[in-house]
Amino acid sequence: MRHTKWLSAIGVPSLVLATVLSGCGNDNGKEETQSGKTEIVLSGWGGNPTEKKLLNEVLSDFEKEHPHIDVKLNTISDQYMDVLKTRLIGGTAADVFYLDAFEAPALIETGAVEPLNKYVTKEFDLADFEKPMLDAFKEGEKLYGLPKDYSTLALFYNKKMFKEAGIKEPPKTWEEMEAVAKKLTDQKKQVYGLGMLPQIERMYYMAESQDGQVITDGRATFADDKVVDAIQPVVDMHIKDKTAATPSEVGAGQSAGEMFGRGNAAMVMEGNWNIPFLEDTFPELDYGTAELPTVNGKKGTMSFAVGYAMNAESEHKKESWELIEYLTGKEGMKKWTSKGFALPTRKSVATELGFDQDELRGPLVSGAEYATVWQDGPTLPIVMNNFNNQFLSAYLGDRPLKEALKDAERQANREIKVTE
Amino acid sequence: MKMLSKKDRREAGQGYLFLLPALLVLGVFVIAPILYAVFLSFHKVELIGGATYEFRGLDNFMKVTFDDRAIIALKNTAIYVAIVVPTQTFLALVLAASLNAGLKGQKFFRIVYFLPTLTSSAVLTLIFMWMYNQNGLINYVLKFLNLPTYNWIGDPDVALIAIMIMNIWATAPFFMVIYLAALQDIPDSHYEAAELDGAGPIQKFWHITVPNLRPVTSFVVIMGLIGTFQLFDQSYIFSGGSGGPNNSTLTVVLLIYQYAFKTLGTMGYATAIAFMLAIIILVATLLQRKFSKEESLY
Amino acid sequence: MKKRTAGRKALYVILVVYAIITVIPFLWALSSSFKTLGEIVSGSINFIPKEFTLDNYKQIFTREPLFGRWLFNSLFIATVGTLLNLLFNSMAGYALARLSFPGKKSIFLMILAVLMIPFQVTLIPNFLILKELGWLNSYQGMIIPGAVNATFIFMMRQFFINFPKEVEEAAAIDGLGRFGTFFRIVLPLAKPALAAQTIFVFMAFWNDFMRPLIILSDQDMFTLPLGLNSFKGQFISFWNYIMAASMVFTLPIIVLYAFFNRYFVKGIKFTGDK
Repeated sequence: MRHTKWLSAIGVPSLVLATVLSGCGNDNGKEETQSGKTEIVLSGWGGNPTEKKLLNEVLSDFEKEHPHIDVKLNTISDQYMDVLKTRLIGGTAADVFYLDAFEAPALIETGAVEPLNKYVTKEFDLADFEKPMLDAFKEGEKLYGLPKDYSTLALFYNKKMFKEAGIKEPPKTWEEMEAVAKKLTDQKKQVYGLGMLPQIERMYYMAESQDGQVITDGRATFADDKVVDAIQPVVDMHIKDKTAATPSEVGAGQSAGEMFGRGNAAMVMEGNWNIPFLEDTFPELDYGTAELPTVNGKKGTMSFAVGYAMNAESEHKKESWELIEYLTGKEGMKKWTSKGFALPTRKSVATELGFDQDELRGPLVSGAEYATVWQDGPTLPIVMNNFNNQFLSAYLGDRPLKEALKDAERQANREIKVTE
Repeated sequence: MKMLSKKDRREAGQGYLFLLPALLVLGVFVIAPILYAVFLSFHKVELIGGATYEFRGLDNFMKVTFDDRAIIALKNTAIYVAIVVPTQTFLALVLAASLNAGLKGQKFFRIVYFLPTLTSSAVLTLIFMWMYNQNGLINYVLKFLNLPTYNWIGDPDVALIAIMIMNIWATAPFFMVIYLAALQDIPDSHYEAAELDGAGPIQKFWHITVPNLRPVTSFVVIMGLIGTFQLFDQSYIFSGGSGGPNNSTLTVVLLIYQYAFKTLGTMGYATAIAFMLAIIILVATLLQRKFSKEESLY
Repeated sequence: MKKRTAGRKALYVILVVYAIITVIPFLWALSSSFKTLGEIVSGSINFIPKEFTLDNYKQIFTREPLFGRWLFNSLFIATVGTLLNLLFNSMAGYALARLSFPGKKSIFLMILAVLMIPFQVTLIPNFLILKELGWLNSYQGMIIPGAVNATFIFMMRQFFINFPKEVEEAAAIDGLGRFGTFFRIVLPLAKPALAAQTIFVFMAFWNDFMRPLIILSDQDMFTLPLGLNSFKGQFISFWNYIMAASMVFTLPIIVLYAFFNRYFVKGIKFTGDK
């Protein structure tokens, strides 16, 4: 008697368990796609809703042309790289995924990314790509990704503020910009000449403009005087001239675009993404763009490239390549970049779409030629994190730049050592 | 050792059966992972692109000694624990005692106070980021009161304080409810006797309420220690995962997360730090128990 | 007598001030959720929207067609997970409180120790185990690893330790076995403790962010926190949408709390039940 009760007591929980398990079992698991279609999964970060819609259109075009393939878009809108890495470990990562050039070297090192050389055909025309963007996804001769789009940084300026201050045209040199910023600043109204994100990704080209190296042989070397001197003007504008500020100082969080849109900054150095953002959020704003001011007479800017990469463990490599081939091919890229959310990495598409003639995008396109690609080996993410952390304390005037960067350099190198 | 009698044996069997589901789940999803983590902590591990393990002995544990950021993280976490745990415990106690005074409308206050605890930390952090904004509500109030305003999220000197304020606000009510439950068990006769001796409300609070609640306080402090040592969500969302500005919101668990997920190849090191944190929490808990001298709960 | 009323007034002041401190962030979020983007961006401080709009709520539901699905996933996972927790934690707590068997003390200490391990330690190994079981991106992968909670085993043990023995002895005389006693007598009398557990465990499942982020990879499988996060990613500067979504997200928990509130304080007892 007792025993039956015992059993029933154990039976209840296990029954519940079993029900749950079987109940959910039906609900998930990758359904074999009907009618012999192959399903491949594509992962990227969110982007704004219009951009997402555009991507969906491009994907359905692809499906029409490739009726045997079903593409499933799987967006990872936050902590993209962390989630991607976790899914690569778990074997649940997408077949094709976005890969930021800056993160590429470290991920390529692990062997999780499929080399694409063997898939690329003559007709695909690799030579059509902007070389620096293509090189960003190469390791030696091996190609691990194809750049889908890019953006450089340009100087966005508020036309109304410039007019009111009697300034006729955007500054061409750093010194001119400093002078102009003084005229534009009105601290009482929380208006600054320049809105600046105190981050190395925005000024890498400046840091290396005096032949200093931020990273040498995988080790941080940015406390070098050549680097410190080169970026000192950025700090001075904030603490000496008080003509520059960060977005968070005027309540715009981490978005220089928002700071600019709200009229808290007369100038910001932003990329192509800022154009649709301003259009959506601040449609009334009257602004222009120009190439970034020269530093020591030299033109410079950053370029940020994003590519498509293939999961080395994908079970549908052939189909995955067909997708990459389409998305980075002339037709797919043209459609993707046609609305101007991003700039095409193929020269032929750029010419056809005529962004170099575009009033707002022209300066961004011109920058491509001399831009520094935001990438510097597998240790860059660590170097970036440590630099940004300590640079901020110098930017806020808590300590001299040299001292802060020395600390940051030591910390970065210790952290790199930890990873070895 | 005495042989177990038949009755004892049956009871033991029942005990194990009652514990079986719990032990199964904890065994597979907690204990086994911990053992696996122990293994990881002695290796250099790269799990992406075909897992590779390389035995490194105590290397991972030694690395902490020259990792500046680990020391900063530990310091931040210690400051955070030292301020938040006493403050939230005391606040919870005062609120519970006030609520328990038999005033009208206490049900209403109880529901209101509990709101923050019901809200997810992700939502709360978003709401607070919105209020901590340079032009946000909090600075507006400070300005109105002629107090200095701060760039709460961007200034390394105050970013951690901003998180402390938010967390005390969010967790004190949770512990308040625990106190409230315990308060109802203090016999009224204790208070009546004290009243006859001429004790005022404040004396009653210190001489009757506080001592009677000691076992619960012990529980609240331990839960508080465990919770605060594991601070993660808030500093993650505030700093976008970096622990900035200027490492001011870098906590030990955030550092563990960074080494486990952001940096490649440091999974073993991350688990080594995690174990050291577990030991610190254990020691802190044991110390607390020693000091409180209260054993009735355990 | 006078002294008494003065004391009461002081108490009321404490209660009211703290109530205001508690409510303001929610009111501010609520008010922001009814404002237009223009008003949000202008940075003006007013609790009553100049231009009251419900558009933000409409937008989050129309712009995010999966919202309903996420709501269902969250509810399903949290409900099943909570039921399992109630059962398993109570059983374990009961065994630790009432039954004697060899190894009890070490099992109890082990459960206490489990509380102290930061979950980040076990996150990756856990993930690998789920991978081996083929439970990634599934409901069971979300539910089963969280089906037992050391904190509440601990809480239930405290509850049962103070539970009057006489009741069980009476049940035993009536011929009920251990399990019969537990399920028919003890559990029903433990309602207050179970109510408290229901809220806490449900909240933990409902609010969990880190685990679903790692385990769930299909958008169809997402829970609300992941949805909210993806929403935040898409509408970075749109605080009006973010606040509206936050409010929608918080509502179900408040309803649940209002429902169980009556048992609530009674349930969290550590020093006996009357």
